Amino acid sequence: MTRAVVLGGGFAGALAGAVLARHADDVIVIEDDHYPSGPRARRGLPQSHHSHVLVAGGARALQELLPGTLEALFARGAHHRRLPGDALILGAAGWFRRLDTGAYLISCSRGLLDQVVRQRALGAVSTWAGTRALGLVGDARRVTGVSVRREGAAPETIEADLVVDATGRRSKAPRWLAELGGAEIEELTVSSGLAYSTRVYQAPAELAGEIPAIMLHPRPARGRPGQGATLFPIEDGRWIVTLTGTRGGEPPADERGFADFARSLRDPIVADLMAAATPLGGIRPYRDTSNRRRFFERARLPAGFVAIGDAVVAVNPVHSHGMSVAALSTLRLDRELTRRGLDPAAAPELRAAMAAEAESSWRMALAQDAGPAGRREATAFEREILARRTRALLSSPELAAEFFRAQTLLPARAAKDGPAVVRALTGEPDPLLTTREAVMQYPALHAWWDALTRVRGGREPSLR
Amino acid sequence: MSLQISDSVIWQETAGGISLYHAETGDFHTLNETGSRIWELVASDGEREPIVAKLSHEFAGDNLAMSVRVLKDVQEFLGSMIERGLIEEHPA
Ligand SMILES: Cc1cc2nc3c(=O)[nH]c(=O)nc-3n(C[C@H](O)[C@H](O)[C@H](O)COP(=O)(O)OP(=O)(O)OC[C@H]3O[C@@H](n4cnc5c(N)ncnc54)[C@H](O)[C@@H]3O)c2cc1C
Repeated sequence: MTRAVVLGGGFAGALAGAVLARHADDVIVIEDDHYPSGPRARRGLPQSHHSHVLVAGGARALQELLPGTLEALFARGAHHRRLPGDALILGAAGWFRRLDTGAYLISCSRGLLDQVVRQRALGAVSTWAGTRALGLVGDARRVTGVSVRREGAAPETIEADLVVDATGRRSKAPRWLAELGGAEIEELTVSSGLAYSTRVYQAPAELAGEIPAIMLHPRPARGRPGQGATLFPIEDGRWIVTLTGTRGGEPPADERGFADFARSLRDPIVADLMAAATPLGGIRPYRDTSNRRRFFERARLPAGFVAIGDAVVAVNPVHSHGMSVAALSTLRLDRELTRRGLDPAAAPELRAAMAAEAESSWRMALAQDAGPAGRREATAFEREILARRTRALLSSPELAAEFFRAQTLLPARAAKDGPAVVRALTGEPDPLLTTREAVMQYPALHAWWDALTRVRGGREPSLR
Repeated sequence: MSLQISDSVIWQETAGGISLYHAETGDFHTLNETGSRIWELVASDGEREPIVAKLSHEFAGDNLAMSVRVLKDVQEFLGSMIERGLIEEHPA
């Protein structure tokens, strides 16, 4: 009789539970919180009030882990948006054209995503909701179980062959392991300085399902805070709008400040859409967005323990990677367990595999937030090429595919067309789209935008 | 054998030598003085033998030991450029 215990029944924990049920006789998921009965945000997951999109790499992994999950999400009203085929994006150099890159995202509320995943993942698993993990049991050589406390009851011990920590960003596993005499775990935190403010809206009927995903990236300006916005359609004809700002330029969480911030961005389209929609509930701020990594794989730790999801690597949410890395990691966990069996002694290999799955997301996040520390100043040639890249990215299918596939954690295309990239970088760039031209790419949005412009006496909201 | 700069490379002569950008890998390289000279000869001559002969003449004159050294350096440089996909070699 083999048993695995998963600590934390969030996104990573639920998926890990589903996979472990294929390899262990008994699987128990310990979750401190109570799951809501409907597709709603919950207390134990403060970020569930904010935009959560599932990028293509994670969507594929989720579908492989739990076939039919994407269909179930679409049936409940989730939206599929190609990047940048169905997304109106204002990048550093201007508006993107609609291009097919193979990259996409799936957008719905985090509450819906979690509910659909839980329903499909936890069928063969015992879920102990309202139960808190208190620590690990065992010694420096081997974790043999966990200590937990059900609401209102005394602590009890559950024995396990494998304990999986999926308690997220604020995991206490390093302390728990130290209490058993395990080695110290290196931890690295790189601040992103990013703050979120989010509000959900009921969309006007004519735009509800037709709206592209909208992303306004910060104006590229050194030494000034970067401010941006996203608008994603979610289920039930709603939109979720998130405003983001780095230190010194944080988005306010009061009514007036939220609207003014949106209007002060490089383009007022998100502010205009907000004004046309009906707010549902208040504005919610979020500040804990630093990049954090725990290097479990580098320490000498007891057998029988592995961590997954945000407990290992949690990156700046602006990348929309966390859930996808969790899904990709669970897929990898499944493969490793198929290969090695549920053997406590294989834990170091499992820990190394979990770290490897999170590596590319971690690198991308650090390239943005850790800055060029240690790197030499770019040469004039390098600056020129990078500036051309930023501009050509808006209209070159090759460059856009490379960029959006990496961003959505899809594997790079096997055959890269170098000469086409060279032509895109050295030729005359395609003219930049005006806001009107960018909006015209989306007929429903254009009809609405045109009407708004007419009301304003022909004055187009201009690109700042 | 004929040598050709890859169609996936953008390059420019700069004060510090030749700067390269490989469009497939996204990598930048800067060549030193000798490397830059070899690169220019690949761009203008495109054949291994004449390049070696020219460089040998430029750097070694009649000194046989130096010619051997130049030959070795050029082959090594071209080998590493070909390996990185910056230069391609085709049968003439
Ligand atoms: C503002 C914001 C926006 C984001 N947007 C995106 C996005 O667009 N796309 C994306 O992919 N990712 C996004 N993320 C990241 C995403 O939220 C996380 O990566 C994801 O939730 C990680 O899942 P997890 O299961 O590892 O941790 P969590 O989802 O945090 O789950 C941890 C679970 O463990 C439980 N728990 C904690 N301690 C205990 C304990 N002692 N005992 C029992 N249970 C415990 C908690 O109640 C919780 O249910 C965003 C994050 C933030 C902060």
